[in-house]
Amino acid sequence: MLSSVQTPRLLRFQSFSLKCLHTHPTTAPPPPHSQILTIRKSLLSREISAVDLAGTFLNRLRNTEPHLKSFLYVSDVVLKEAEEIDRKIAENEELGPLAGVLVGVKDNICTSDMPSTAGSKILENYRPPFDATAVGKMKKCGAIVIGKTNMDEFGMGSTTEGSGYQVTANPWDLSRVPGGSSGGSAAAVSARQCMVSLGSDTGGSVRQPASFCGVVGLKPTYGRVSRYGLVAYASSLDVIGCFGSSVADAGILLHAISGHDKFDATSSKKEVPDFASQFTARDQLDSKPLKGLRVGLIRETIEDGVDPDVISSIRGAASHLEELGCTVTEVSLPSFSLGLPAYYILASSESSSNLSRYDGIRYGKQVFADELNSLYGESRAGGLGSEVKMRILMGTYALSAGYYDAYYKRAQQVRTLVRESFRAALDENDILISPAAPSAAYKIGEKKNDPLSMYAGDIMTVNVNLAGLPALVLPCGFIDSSPVALPVGVQMISAAFEEEKLLKVGHMFEQTLQGCCFIPPLVADELAC
Amino acid sequence: MGSISALHYLKPTRTANGTSLFNFSKNRISQLPVAFRSYTVKSSVLEPPDVPRLAETARISLNSQEIEEFAPKIRQVIDWFGQLQAVDLQSIEPAIRADTEGDNLRGDVPEKFENREDLISAVPSFENPYIKVPKVLNKE
Repeated sequence: MLSSVQTPRLLRFQSFSLKCLHTHPTTAPPPPHSQILTIRKSLLSREISAVDLAGTFLNRLRNTEPHLKSFLYVSDVVLKEAEEIDRKIAENEELGPLAGVLVGVKDNICTSDMPSTAGSKILENYRPPFDATAVGKMKKCGAIVIGKTNMDEFGMGSTTEGSGYQVTANPWDLSRVPGGSSGGSAAAVSARQCMVSLGSDTGGSVRQPASFCGVVGLKPTYGRVSRYGLVAYASSLDVIGCFGSSVADAGILLHAISGHDKFDATSSKKEVPDFASQFTARDQLDSKPLKGLRVGLIRETIEDGVDPDVISSIRGAASHLEELGCTVTEVSLPSFSLGLPAYYILASSESSSNLSRYDGIRYGKQVFADELNSLYGESRAGGLGSEVKMRILMGTYALSAGYYDAYYKRAQQVRTLVRESFRAALDENDILISPAAPSAAYKIGEKKNDPLSMYAGDIMTVNVNLAGLPALVLPCGFIDSSPVALPVGVQMISAAFEEEKLLKVGHMFEQTLQGCCFIPPLVADELAC
Repeated sequence: MGSISALHYLKPTRTANGTSLFNFSKNRISQLPVAFRSYTVKSSVLEPPDVPRLAETARISLNSQEIEEFAPKIRQVIDWFGQLQAVDLQSIEPAIRADTEGDNLRGDVPEKFENREDLISAVPSFENPYIKVPKVLNKE
């Protein structure tokens, strides 16, 4: 990006931001390749064994965990499962598309053979009696679950500091947050502790950590992936999403977990296209491969209150898309700012209902009392964290008799407005772009005592959840936060069920982005670009 | 980024007909045009959150330190929610969720869940075949 593509418009916005770092002064780093496809080739050609591959990742995980703390649980059967893959290869048995792929799973996604705590003490050591549908599908494709990743308790938070267990650090700067609530999953992929990971996104919990950690985060359309086995936070907003070190990997993982599920009445019966077919090799691209694609840059996301270096990175991404043949125009979403309070009303209300099941009776931690209501009260007080308690109380208030019309119903009406404004914008544009967050990763502890300040950071992401649309975040540049450079991601949004379009555009963007290496210094010695 | 940035998001903006969307204080309701006042709930002013009562409704036993800590934060957020009161939503249909696809229900046919042992082993207080709970005292 710093080489031949400086146009006068770009220079105006460059200010103090670094679009990309040259880690090698003479040779530009190559774009990321699909780890999934590369290892598949190596496994099938017997170049490497699944056991060796698993061993390498486990070693890296163990070496980096004391600094990162991205995992709440590491599987003790990784090598055994890898041996099974090697056996299948040796006997020329058919291999699933994710054979040998090491996956991290966010701890609010049920895995029957590992604890699933949703980051909460109230579910400490809880083992679900079933696998989430998404996990079952991955395992059927041959994936190996390497462990369960850390998260903000029940998905409530944007920093992963809200975990009931530990704080995860950002691999780019250990004094900073990885984002949240899927911070563990994002950090794990960023630090190459696993190849890909699953997260969940209710208000941006996949996209914002992807931006903070310099990885690809994919939020599918609501209903694309079954929510069966995802611990419910806000049922009308929750989705399971994918992290990868490349757009291709996120797309391949999404394909593996998508599809209608009879156990989730909100899962779509729409056919799942083969997302993997979108990934053309770089040398086979035309000079203007995205000619005719109309891109809308959301005006409300590049105004006051957003870090100027972030705005600069997004404008840089817009220029890059223009070089690929797109036309980029600014577009306004009229109800944009209303989405944030509407989201928090809906999410708190729905969560107050969804979390009423944690009563210490059928599962989870019980604090004994000699009267039933006290048992509920003490068990919940003892097991739930502060942010969770506050949101339950806010939701309880908003749903109280006489208040429903004033809050919940109004928020649902705002949801209609948000949906309509996206529909109008996506009639005129193929995709919309914006930052994924108003800043790069901030310091651990910075937002702890100020809920509204933390909520404000979700402004870029919540509207997409209200409308149920798919969105892809991929790293597009860096911000100079000496002595480190922090990654910044661009968010691409499309109409419902158009993940194919997002993946196609994202892949081309990624493969033609010059001079960027999104491997954090923590593991850069071992894994230079 | 801090609270100042939060205030940027909370700054008044203009709708197409030029009306401010952000209105925190309830006593400015009377200054709004009639159309905006038509939404008001039966009780003329929504009562502020009573944290101890909410905690009892939500069955969470808060200690006094928590009540003291949470009350101002909850009040601040509920006030912030209040900005939706000023929006003209007269003829807008509430959306339950993103586009629904219509009939996605499966047949009402019971299926046996095979893994009963794991279900039961998660229960903290189990005395076959009962889930044991303490007595219920009717306070109401």
